[in-house]
Amino acid sequence: MNGKSLAQYEEVVGSVAVSQLRQLADNLVGAKVVHVNSTKEGGGVAEILHWLIPLMNDLGLDASWEVVEGHNSYFNVTKSFHNGLQGNPVALTESMTETYEQTVAENADRLRPLLEDADYVFIHDPQPAFLLNLCGNRRGKWIWRCHPDVSHPYRKVWNYLKKIVANYDASVFSMPHFAQSLPHAQFIIAPSIDPLSEKNRDLRAREVENTLARFGISPDLPVLTQISRFDRFKDPIGVIEAFNLLNSTVDAQLVLAGGGATDDPEGEAVYQEVLQAAKGNDRIFILQLPSDAHRTINALQRASAIVIQKSLQEGFGLTVTEAMWKGKPVIGGNVGGIRLQIHNHHTGFLVDSPEGAALRIRELLRKPERMKAIGKTARRFVRDNFLLTRHLREYLTLMLGFRHGLENDLIRV
Amino acid sequence: MTDHSENINMPFAVKDCALITRMGGVDTAVNLRELRERIRVCPEACLFHHFMETLVRPSFDDPEFRNDFAVWSARYLRDRVLAERLGILNPYKFDNLQQLRETVVETIDDRLAELPYVPSVPKGDDFIFMQAATVVFDVGILLESPYQLSETIPQMSYSSIYYHFIEARRRTEERVDDFTAWCKGVEEGCEELVEAFKGIEFYYMTLPELKTTLIETIEPLTVKAKHER
Repeated sequence: MNGKSLAQYEEVVGSVAVSQLRQLADNLVGAKVVHVNSTKEGGGVAEILHWLIPLMNDLGLDASWEVVEGHNSYFNVTKSFHNGLQGNPVALTESMTETYEQTVAENADRLRPLLEDADYVFIHDPQPAFLLNLCGNRRGKWIWRCHPDVSHPYRKVWNYLKKIVANYDASVFSMPHFAQSLPHAQFIIAPSIDPLSEKNRDLRAREVENTLARFGISPDLPVLTQISRFDRFKDPIGVIEAFNLLNSTVDAQLVLAGGGATDDPEGEAVYQEVLQAAKGNDRIFILQLPSDAHRTINALQRASAIVIQKSLQEGFGLTVTEAMWKGKPVIGGNVGGIRLQIHNHHTGFLVDSPEGAALRIRELLRKPERMKAIGKTARRFVRDNFLLTRHLREYLTLMLGFRHGLENDLIRV
Repeated sequence: MTDHSENINMPFAVKDCALITRMGGVDTAVNLRELRERIRVCPEACLFHHFMETLVRPSFDDPEFRNDFAVWSARYLRDRVLAERLGILNPYKFDNLQQLRETVVETIDDRLAELPYVPSVPKGDDFIFMQAATVVFDVGILLESPYQLSETIPQMSYSSIYYHFIEARRRTEERVDDFTAWCKGVEEGCEELVEAFKGIEFYYMTLPELKTTLIETIEPLTVKAKHER
């Protein structure tokens, strides 16, 4: 755990936001809260829990984090669930569901006393979801927290999981479009970023310069950056097309940086296509980064004049949030959660084609004052809406809602 | 009934609030006709959310339109005429949400009658009906005199301003803000303050704008009251 305290965030988010958290949490002091997911390291959920648990404890709650353990066979099944929830047709056999239920049952033997005694249990994603069926003497509220985009799940997988998650007291999705029909209340809590994490904390100018030098990127020409894995839905080829449309009129460099291609056959193929598309252009930098290269990504975003996220399909798009937090104008695809973050002409530009991206890049590079103004608005927008303090506030609000009766629109605590 | 109108001669307890948003329990709308049908039957909490709570949920602080139906009409249906007609509706000018609902439905009916087609959106751009629960909590500040508001409002969060000045209109019998309800209960000397609050056209303001307006409204009256004492 990173062990950061709320006081450390006060400087960033302001004393009012921190006071609100303390005032809300005063009504939850001592509440036993257990979060369960399937990994301590790697992935967005673990990143959230690394800051959420210490901050809940800092506020006086009794929060803990448990992880379900299993063999490869179990994780292969849950990987299929994950892919199925995101709409990919996957195999789902009886032996797979048996492996899943058996592994969760083994974990239940260990976790049952803690879970049955908790006031609030947050089960993250499908991996531990079956625990609810195995904790018959539970006394608290059980909430299924679904992180991925499940707007178009593969029906066979969803039909199986729905029978399990329908028994929860509530579910939480990241965006309204992700929610599925379930017989209980479905809440929406948008993702957030940690402003003090390695990926988002302030960096010294020297570190940013060194990062550019490490990759041979010139500090004297504007840098345009897209950070994302090599995936067709992120449209890296479209970004190169946009850059090529500029080349004769604008002096700039393009950085496409991402990771995770080596263990993903599709990703490797896209990476090769991107290399091919960039071939011969020494102003385009294709960087394959390890999954823990958070400071490098931070430095690249900070070195950029403009950040691009030209996705064709997107969940929330936290790379957009990260760039906006660094005061960068973002040119993003007109899809998914990017639309919640980019307000045309105010916090960046939404585009539907490489031509649109090229048009906006050219416009911004010619108006440095405009870039600065948009970046400033973007940073303020993220500070007010998408930092972890808002995320934590919504978890506290949800728990208080449960404690005092969610059937009312107005709940006095 | 507001906390403050119930305890009119009592100190004013400053509160704050936080929202948790949930699905509205109504199918999504993919075209204007469906939007009309869903608005006709959706819970009042959905109407309240899409018209009134847009100020306090995570959103851009300077939107073109104040209510979500107008935003959707402009951005996704690409019908700016309808967006402008819906955008001009001030929900606080209606006696109740049912009246607001009827006006919105009528506005859409008029537009459907004018158009030779039913405007629709691609899947994924549909209108999703939401609602929210508001959790109200104490901030530990008690005011003895209305003129203490001039020192307190600058310290209040935007959500606290929203709760006392806007959300209060859903709770109070006279559909006024909490400050007004409290001032009216104080025996003398607050008439000017009540009049000043009444003159604030809050619906088209952002919360930072409203906060600034409240401060600018109260400050001179507080100075004047101190002189008169």
